[in-house]
Amino acid sequence: MLPSSVIIALAAGVAIIALLFLGAGVLSGNTVGRVVLLVGLLALPLLLSVANFSYGVHESSRTHFCLSCHEMKDHGKSLFVDSKQALAAFHYQNRLVDRETVCYSCHKDYAMFGDVRAKLNGLRHVWAHYVAGIPKKIELYQPYRNSNCLHCHDDARSFVEGVAHKPVLAALTSGSMSCLACHRIAHDLAKVEAGDFWQAR
Amino acid sequence: MTRKIRRAAVVGGAGLCVQLAAALHWTPATFIVSAVVGAPLVIAGAVMFLAAVWRNMKEKGAV
Repeated sequence: MLPSSVIIALAAGVAIIALLFLGAGVLSGNTVGRVVLLVGLLALPLLLSVANFSYGVHESSRTHFCLSCHEMKDHGKSLFVDSKQALAAFHYQNRLVDRETVCYSCHKDYAMFGDVRAKLNGLRHVWAHYVAGIPKKIELYQPYRNSNCLHCHDDARSFVEGVAHKPVLAALTSGSMSCLACHRIAHDLAKVEAGDFWQAR
Repeated sequence: MTRKIRRAAVVGGAGLCVQLAAALHWTPATFIVSAVVGAPLVIAGAVMFLAAVWRNMKEKGAV
C-alpha cells in the first residue's frame, strides 16, 4: 500500500469529481461554476495522476518493491549472508549503499537515460513474471558493467590505492577487464540455501 | 453540454478510481495497471471535457 497521504489525495480527487458530476448542471450555468469545473475536471485529475505516477516511479526503485516478487526472495536474503566476499551482502551490511534502494543502486545504469533503461528492464521482469514465465536461473540481461561499480569507487582512495587494483586500474576503467573477474560472488545463493546469515548470530 | 461534462467526469473519475485501487494494493502489476489504464483514462476525461467546452464555445460563437 502506498502512504496514506497519496491514498487520501486520490480519494479526495474521486470525491470532488463525484460532486462535480452531480453539480455539473448548476455549475455550467455561471462563470464561477465553469472555473470550478475547469479546475476540478481538468487540472486536479491531471495533477493527481502526474503526482501519483512520479511517486510510483520513485517507489519502484525501493528494495521492498524489487523483492515483492517471490522469485527474488533468495536474492533479497543474500543481502544478509555471512560473507565478506559476496558483493551484495558486503555493500548492504556495511551501508555502502542506501539500504532502501540497494537493488536499484547497483543494478541501475548510471549513463544517460539509465533510469529509463532500468524501468524498461523492470517491465521485462513483470512480463516474465506474469506472461513469459520465470527462467530457472535468474541472470542479468547483459554482462554487468564496470561503470556501475566505478560510479562510486572510481576516485575512492581505497580503490585507487588498493594493492590488487593498481596494476589493473586502466583495464578496469576502460572496461576491458570486469570487476567481477576477481569479485566473483555478487549474490551468495549457496549460503542462502545453507542458512548462513550474519544477522542470525 | 452538461451531459458531455458528466461523461468526461465519469471517465476521469474512473481513471482516478483505478489509480486509487492500485495505490491501495501496491504491487509491480498494479503500478503498471495504474500507469497504463488509470492515467490514460484521466487524460481521456480531460480531453472529453475540453472538447465539450470547445464545442459549446463554438456554438455560442465565442471562438
